[in-house]
Amino acid sequence: MENIKDKAAIVGVGYTVQGKVPGRSSMSFHLEAARNAIADAGLKIEDVDGLLMQPPMAAMGDPMVAPAYLSQQLGIRVRFMAAHDDWGASAGCLAQHAAWAVVHGMANYVVCTYGENALSGAGEYGNALNGGIEYGMFGAVAGYALAARRGMHEFGTGPETWKEIAIAQRRWANLNPNARYYQQPMTVEDYYNSRMIVDPFRRADICLVSDGGRAFIVTTAERARDLRHRSVFIMGMGQDHPSTNVPQATHLAGPSGAVVSGATAFKIAGITTDDIDACEIYDCFTYTVELTLMGYGFFGPGEGKDFLKAERLAPGGDFPVNTSGGQLSEAYFQGFTPLAEAIMQLRGDAGERQLGPVTNTREPEIIIVSGNGGVLQTHSTLILRR
Amino acid sequence: MVYEKPLPVINEDNAPYWEYCRSHELRMQKCTDCGYVRFPVSIVCPKCNSMAAEWTPLSGKGRVYSYVVYHMAYHPSYKGDIPYIVAIIQLDEGPRMESNITDCKTEDVRIDMPVEVYFDDVTEDISLPKFRPAA
Ligand SMILES: [Zn+2]
Repeated sequence: MENIKDKAAIVGVGYTVQGKVPGRSSMSFHLEAARNAIADAGLKIEDVDGLLMQPPMAAMGDPMVAPAYLSQQLGIRVRFMAAHDDWGASAGCLAQHAAWAVVHGMANYVVCTYGENALSGAGEYGNALNGGIEYGMFGAVAGYALAARRGMHEFGTGPETWKEIAIAQRRWANLNPNARYYQQPMTVEDYYNSRMIVDPFRRADICLVSDGGRAFIVTTAERARDLRHRSVFIMGMGQDHPSTNVPQATHLAGPSGAVVSGATAFKIAGITTDDIDACEIYDCFTYTVELTLMGYGFFGPGEGKDFLKAERLAPGGDFPVNTSGGQLSEAYFQGFTPLAEAIMQLRGDAGERQLGPVTNTREPEIIIVSGNGGVLQTHSTLILRR
Repeated sequence: MVYEKPLPVINEDNAPYWEYCRSHELRMQKCTDCGYVRFPVSIVCPKCNSMAAEWTPLSGKGRVYSYVVYHMAYHPSYKGDIPYIVAIIQLDEGPRMESNITDCKTEDVRIDMPVEVYFDDVTEDISLPKFRPAA
């Protein structure tokens, strides 16, 4: 098999206004993110010849958010295009498909986009996804809370461990001016006082809902060298999609899709968990972080409660996780939240929260990024290096 | 009294399941080729992809695999119900299903607790299979 390792690179990131931004369509965020990514990479509009998009989740089926309309409004003429929905795993999957496309000459520069007016728009997350509404199972929270309760039973973790994740990520968000919780700390007391939503999950265990979008651009490693930013190479990649109906799933309390997806990515990259400097993990819920890190092999079943300590995960720690604040404390843009942050950190563009001397952490050479969708039903992994 | 809570989404495939529920029978599809009892309803067996199946009656007995307690009413019709229990039930015959556990204090529910099915006739057409602690 031809190895994809280090053959493709991510060369531009597009952010948008984010948070609560009323009066904007989901499409408008795709467009803003895409044009900002093109500008960030220093490309001309006519250079972009590939387009992949993740359609908005809450506005599922909105016919106005389609790749051809996005292409039309950006003024690009592409020879490689798709709407691609693996739910929360999509960002990582888009990057993988874009990498194969550029390596095989199907396109030179592929822009990958996401945008959604999830907070101010009319849609609602998760209700239609897996059924159960007749029993009062509302929101994506139901399936994850069921998984987390089973996890408590299997692994001996629970709120005591999850608070460490939530508090550490909040400390990263405190350093990120884009974050919902910039400069707003969370104490242990705050965590336990956070409102119980669906026991065992408090508000503090559950991600934000945000308006906004993100985009990034993938090209070949050779082309990347001519562009303005430090290249971020795609070193390893993997996917695993258990897909299983939630009640039947054996992955609620591991082994989740992270196991096979992660092992595939580590094998392609030719490295082990010891080589990872930081983790940007899809954190729709605190428990997702625990289960994913365990699936990647950073610790074994039953070891999470000793491994996951805020002082290790937070600024100054030896195991930095979700350095933007993540979906819990920065903003929720599906898998684009962790992926964009990994790129900024590897470029050295993360400002106050930059890994290295600024935050008394290791200089990042290699970062692992996860995507996860449905109720642990889809999973993607990227290993990125600078 | 009008039932204001969301009802199951019934389609061509799952209509027989809800018809059996209406007559207070819990039945699921059993593959007549490999014997696997599947849920949710599907036209193919996820173990062998056979399309041959029969609606086999289940005992309605099982254990709690996992459970959560809703403290927030996501829909106005649930305001009077919080806190309520949503659970995954491991049925004795193999499949698991989501449902509610009633007649049980929220602080008393436990993983592996034995439960049994009953049917809640919420409308003229719909009876929901729900569970309570086994006698
Ligand atoms: Zn079969």
